[in-house]
Amino acid sequence: MSSAQIEIQLIASLVAIACAIPGTFLVLRKMAMISDAISHSILPGIVLGFFITQDLNSPLLIFLAALTGIVTVVLVEQIQKTGLVKEDTAIGLVFPALFSIGVILIAKNANDVHLDVDAVLLGELAFAPFDRMLLFGVDAGPKSLWIIGTILIITLILLFMFFKELKLSTFDSGLAASLGFSPVVVHYGLMTVSSVTTVGAFDAVGAILVVALMVAPAAAAYLLTSDLKKMLLLAILFGIFSAISGYWVAHWLDASIAGSITSMLGVLFLVVYLFAPNKGLIAVIYREKQQRIEVSLLTFLLHLKNHVELEERHVNHLNEHINWQNLRSKIVLDLALKNNMIEIDNNIVSLTEKGDLFTSQAIDYIITNEDTQIEDMKADFFLFRG
Amino acid sequence: MSKIAVKVDDLTVAYNYKPVLWDIDLEIPEGVLMAIVGPNGAGKSTLIKSILGILNPIAGSITIYGKSYAKQRSLVAYVPQKGSVDWDFPTTALDVVMMGTYGGLGWIKRPGQKEKKAALEALEKVGMLPFKNRQISQLSGGQQQRIFLARALVQDASIYFMDEPFQGVDATTEIAIINILKELRKASKTVVVVHHDLQTVPEYFDWVTFLNVKKIATGPVKDIFNDDNLTKTYGINYKVSIQK
Repeated sequence: MSSAQIEIQLIASLVAIACAIPGTFLVLRKMAMISDAISHSILPGIVLGFFITQDLNSPLLIFLAALTGIVTVVLVEQIQKTGLVKEDTAIGLVFPALFSIGVILIAKNANDVHLDVDAVLLGELAFAPFDRMLLFGVDAGPKSLWIIGTILIITLILLFMFFKELKLSTFDSGLAASLGFSPVVVHYGLMTVSSVTTVGAFDAVGAILVVALMVAPAAAAYLLTSDLKKMLLLAILFGIFSAISGYWVAHWLDASIAGSITSMLGVLFLVVYLFAPNKGLIAVIYREKQQRIEVSLLTFLLHLKNHVELEERHVNHLNEHINWQNLRSKIVLDLALKNNMIEIDNNIVSLTEKGDLFTSQAIDYIITNEDTQIEDMKADFFLFRG
Repeated sequence: MSKIAVKVDDLTVAYNYKPVLWDIDLEIPEGVLMAIVGPNGAGKSTLIKSILGILNPIAGSITIYGKSYAKQRSLVAYVPQKGSVDWDFPTTALDVVMMGTYGGLGWIKRPGQKEKKAALEALEKVGMLPFKNRQISQLSGGQQQRIFLARALVQDASIYFMDEPFQGVDATTEIAIINILKELRKASKTVVVVHHDLQTVPEYFDWVTFLNVKKIATGPVKDIFNDDNLTKTYGINYKVSIQK
């Protein structure tokens, strides 16, 4: 690996981490689309900042562009507050307007500004190592690395300081307000961090990838854990994974790095979405199937409990009485046998003691909806897991 | 006459210029168990949220033991409506209860062993200790409500505001909540509950406030919980059978 390759992967990874942190809270606050709005509408901020500073890496430019991000959030909220349109419509109204101003500004001044719309949307990660940071005349690495590194350190410090406040106001803004942790302050703090991160990442990875890096790792992590700290950690790891694997995919395919990283994020999310142990698609389908079978089992057991007549309990006539097809009857019968809930004597099915108790408890639960008595049944049966 | 815990003067609150609470004057004496009743859209939750500084009124003043709410936060605990939060949030029952200690900690400071111990005690009180590490989405509606109650208990406040704690809960939880309410009254705490079930008002509460955008009446249940006030609050000819 050349040093340029290492630098690119390092920049991409730091960008991924810096995006995953605010991204996790945006996803939990159901505000993922606001990152899309911010990433597009900071364009006029960047262009105006460039006119003033003539330097894409100037802190003033980052400040101005981040300000445009905050303006976007405020505008969206103001439009939404009128009650005339919903939040998604407000977002759809605000960011294209601001973005288009940026596009016109670039087009009008295309000759003397070294910015073009392609670069804005997709970034130029491959060129990042060419723009060096000089400290006292000595090469100190790419400027992008310094910018995103600084932003990341500030984000991490803020996260450690205000983790409690972020968690509380995200989960329950009413309680946060009543305890004196202004949810408005936390909200705009998060919006500011998101905007600054977006600007810092923008030059390296472009507007579209910034959105993907904020939303996809957090969304995938959300499916895998029920602990906020683990979710943050997983989102960060997913971000790093897609940054590095995306770089190598781009290397082998000789394709855009930003595009490849985004594709890897898509693949990663798809895999998690399908295979996540509890919330994944396959797990959900399996659970629903099991629940259907368990409902059948309960129906069957109840039938046995309610009928002492031998003809109602004969193996060969069960499906007629309960009006089920053979296959379903067999699955249910096997399940009941496996759990020692029934015994078959001379082709006559009857409840065991365990089966009888189980049926009473289950019916009791269904009628009273009291959880306490079915706690130990949750481990064996999906039906009781809510 | 006992001390006044909460005093509301000329409170008016509006959403988009439409008043939802109009010129409310209300005094809540210390140590009462008060139900706030009224039809949907009467402004019951809005009243609580305004007292707690969550909403900004367009007029009026609110004091807690004679001082503004901002100065008296530590005296007040709040149980929001269960439906106001996302129960799929990645956290555990214990962690939610710990949130009740955040107010005492202030900004930046993290909860430690002392806060955890208090949270575990509160979980024990509502009978939820065995579920402390359970993810909150895996709890039943009643269990979630008890977690919210534990979170308020951990604040160890003097005044408790609860927004429909009995909404959609099972019998076990209802009993658990009532026992907690009785315990709070024994400890001379003031409890204000937004309540829907008129039948249980005389049984659970000793004070009641009738609200429908304006305040209709407030006072001891035995004096003012009658058909006259119910009709004024809920509309013409509203009758319930009240066991006195």
